[in-house]
Amino acid sequence: MKKKLLLIPLALLLALSLVAIGCPTPPEETTPPTTAPPTTPAPPAKDEIVLGQAIALSGPYTIGAGVTQVAPNDMWIEEVNAEGGIYVEEYGKKLPLRLIRYDDTSDVGTQVKLTEKLILEDKVDFILGPWSTAMWFAIAPTVNEYKYPVIAPTVDSLQLREMWEEIPYLFIHLNQPKEKAEAMVDMALDLGVETMVAGHLQDLHGIEYAQGVVPQLAAAGVEVLAYKSFPIGVKDLTPMLKEFKSLNPDAAFIFAYPDENFLITAQSIEVGFNPKLFFCSIGIAFSPYREIFGAETVEGMMGAGAWHPSAPYTGAKEFWDRMTAWSGPGGTDWLGNAYCYSAVQVLQQAIEGAGTLDRVKVRDYIASATFDTVIGPVYYEKQLNMQVPGHVGQWQNGEFHIVAAKELATADIIYPKPAWPTP
Amino acid sequence: MLTTILDIVIGGLITGGIYALIAVGLSLQYGVGRVLNVSHGEFIMIGAFATYSLYVLFGISPLLSLVICGPFLFILGFLIHRTLFQRLRDTSESIDVFEGNSLLASFGVLFIIQNLALIIWKANIRGYTYLVYPVNIFGATFTTNRLIVLLFAVVISLGFYIFLTRTRLGKAIRAAAQDPTTAALSGVNIKQVLAICFGLGALMAGFAGPLISMIYQITPTMGMEYTIIAIIVVVLGGLGSITGSLIGGFILGLIGSIVTHFDPGLSLVAYYVIFILLLLVRPTGIMGK
Amino acid sequence: MDIIGGIFKRFRVPRLIILILLILLATLPLYAPGYTVILLTAILMYIILTVSWTIFSGPTRYISLASAAFFGVGVYTMAILGKALPLAAIISIGALVSFILALFIGFLTLRLRGMYFIIFTFGISELIKHSLLWWETNMTGTVGRWVVRVDHDQVYYIMLAIFVVLMLTAYFIRHSRFGLALKSIGQSEEAAAHRGINVTLVKVVAFAISALFMGAAGAIMATRWAYIDPRIAFNPLLSFMPVMMAIFGGMGQLYGPVIGAAVFTYLAEILMTRFAYYYMLIFGSVLVLAILYLPNGLIGLLQKWRKRGTAEQQAST
Repeated sequence: MKKKLLLIPLALLLALSLVAIGCPTPPEETTPPTTAPPTTPAPPAKDEIVLGQAIALSGPYTIGAGVTQVAPNDMWIEEVNAEGGIYVEEYGKKLPLRLIRYDDTSDVGTQVKLTEKLILEDKVDFILGPWSTAMWFAIAPTVNEYKYPVIAPTVDSLQLREMWEEIPYLFIHLNQPKEKAEAMVDMALDLGVETMVAGHLQDLHGIEYAQGVVPQLAAAGVEVLAYKSFPIGVKDLTPMLKEFKSLNPDAAFIFAYPDENFLITAQSIEVGFNPKLFFCSIGIAFSPYREIFGAETVEGMMGAGAWHPSAPYTGAKEFWDRMTAWSGPGGTDWLGNAYCYSAVQVLQQAIEGAGTLDRVKVRDYIASATFDTVIGPVYYEKQLNMQVPGHVGQWQNGEFHIVAAKELATADIIYPKPAWPTP
Repeated sequence: MLTTILDIVIGGLITGGIYALIAVGLSLQYGVGRVLNVSHGEFIMIGAFATYSLYVLFGISPLLSLVICGPFLFILGFLIHRTLFQRLRDTSESIDVFEGNSLLASFGVLFIIQNLALIIWKANIRGYTYLVYPVNIFGATFTTNRLIVLLFAVVISLGFYIFLTRTRLGKAIRAAAQDPTTAALSGVNIKQVLAICFGLGALMAGFAGPLISMIYQITPTMGMEYTIIAIIVVVLGGLGSITGSLIGGFILGLIGSIVTHFDPGLSLVAYYVIFILLLLVRPTGIMGK
Repeated sequence: MDIIGGIFKRFRVPRLIILILLILLATLPLYAPGYTVILLTAILMYIILTVSWTIFSGPTRYISLASAAFFGVGVYTMAILGKALPLAAIISIGALVSFILALFIGFLTLRLRGMYFIIFTFGISELIKHSLLWWETNMTGTVGRWVVRVDHDQVYYIMLAIFVVLMLTAYFIRHSRFGLALKSIGQSEEAAAHRGINVTLVKVVAFAISALFMGAAGAIMATRWAYIDPRIAFNPLLSFMPVMMAIFGGMGQLYGPVIGAAVFTYLAEILMTRFAYYYMLIFGSVLVLAILYLPNGLIGLLQKWRKRGTAEQQAST
């Protein structure tokens, strides 16, 4: 009796493995086998471009992914399809886009696995990619192995860019810590900052960014009064901010993510910490930041990277109007939306320019051409985007303006930062 | 010097007050009902988002939201227990099996609530500013909203404690917690009491949510973080002991505040070090038997 | 051969099935499309976590939430030693370090029971994560490491090998005096001690054996993840998953956790790909319904069917 009982689960396991073997491809993806005669290299008939994206739709990365990346990607697909699609020369017609999107549940293992699923099983034409630095790190070897060109608008790291020779299919699109740090150092010295405090998150972003800024400023003669780190998930930083306040520095530089930067803003208001220059890296460019604290309160706050619709780039203003209508005025990201949108613009122009869906050719085209996007004329050197709309942004009258580097600025810098408004 | 100490102590009490509040609810749900409710943070999230929506859309004061969210979540919790956890209790072979099964079920509830919240409120950060007037206490400055949070956390927790020790219903709950069989024999409707307990746990989440939304930004995925803190505090204080949870919450808040003063990088490490050391010395928590 | 022969002697009927299944699994990369291997590797990883979790927690009823710690230790072993040593050596070291860590945690937790044990193990895992974060930030100056990449067929075979060794180990523990001792500890620790069982030793060793396999799985899985940091390696979800999968499958039999983990992982995969926006909603509903209607897990359902089948047979004769 007991022995026979074992049969059932074993049979079930067998059936399960057969299922796994037998139907790995969703039925709608069954493309007919290519029966092209060997003499003509013409590609098989195609009536759409399939894009694949595994990104966080649940778990802790959902918010960043949703605000920064998902919205501009979706808007772009709708716009392109409204025009009939992307014109691909080798097919002699416009091909509409179809997106296969998976939820990576904010888990790196799942992300790698699903990216491989998109490549191996769904055989998508191109990959739009995940959100956040760690995720891009994780899929870098995979996209390289299968020769899928990807343009990464949400990666922020020195480590990855140093590996450019090993990962020719990954293009780093976002402006990177080194350049941002240099612009910040110049700005701080220009403004005559003499003393500073710094705080960073215990995370790749926080560490690399702080290492790019703090030693340089110290070397240039700025006195570093305090230099602290804090963990993700911290709920009270008032002791640190009170210490900062008692040191009375000219400038404060915080390198952290939205959760911590929003907390630091709220608690700085509370303790009355108001340095002449107040910089927090990620999340300051989010419209929700202005919505939560009010335009008057955030006036003069600075954040990492910058973009503004008044910058002199093709379609910048129109893009921002559409983006604001799409996400609502409280749902945009003044920096990330433009970057994510321009990344897919590059992909689109590369497909059009190369005239093919051949990924190796598209990759080579991306590596060599210049692209006209909402963040300006993008071109890549060593797979790193050389076009940067701005390095430091500042809230002014409810808009996030570019204030550094100087030659890119869309507004004059406000210095010193005005006092927190008294309620 | 005095100012620094006041800063650290009051700051620690504010965080601790919130920790205590969220832990008390979970403590009741586990202590009496034996449900390790990992969706506790999701109930807090509902409270926080409801408060946000009411404030932004209708201008309803977050303090008024306390009396809206609390009862609403009480009813929700009560119904979830009647429809889900009571049935599990009936079908599980033993209390051990029930604990495992209810853990799995509350994970399901967590997933469902978080997904619904993402659909309703979208993947975005929300928040509002409310009563950020600075108040000066012997040189240490705090904003009104944080002090109000502390005040309410203490009042609600104490009120809850008095309810459990002084009222008939409270006494029935405590009897049920200690010995369900005898309580049932002496005329306590045990099913009703268990559902009320779970509802009361949700009620505390319904109070904590609005308070949290007053001082922190909120997201639909914020729940897990608070659940973990609540679980740590409940165990630290001693399972089922409301007093223990209160003390545990304040201790954790104070220690976090002190450590942050010296090295913010170690604040979370300190939580777990304290937790582990204490359990090694007292294997049943501060107030556990 | 003796070992396998021993198993076959016990189950004469299913031995053919086990054999066929093993051959199917072993030759899978030869005929199945590439992604099937990758998916099965992930499923095997969760099966390994769940079955090894059950070795200790099943009979003793001590619910451990330290799986992430053991898995993460394996992951970090691979990340640190990846380039220096051959693969097999690193996996063994990962397993060994997890084993030693589990011995240590095991002795620490001797006095803890029930909920205190559950949360203590969880706290240890979180403590290691946060300490490592602090250490990497302040001592090595960077958070996050690259891991050597290994071909996915090779990862699959190693995972399969760990799985086979684990199943044999679990089987023999179940049918040994050691396994009986574990079971009697689950029923009553005092009674077990009275019967002359060295409760401490049995508990701690079982805990360490279960950690051994988690560490091995973590070491090899890290090569698929390419990039890791403490939050990835010690993700608390890795602690909760084995518990949920084991309950989902049912813990009474050896194959319960296997089926639980396999179905759970496969279901999650389908939902997060076909219903990406409603993954949690549907998955959560499935969990709630499953536990409502299958309080003894999937194998409870199987046994019910089985009973009904025999009852019908009897009725018809």
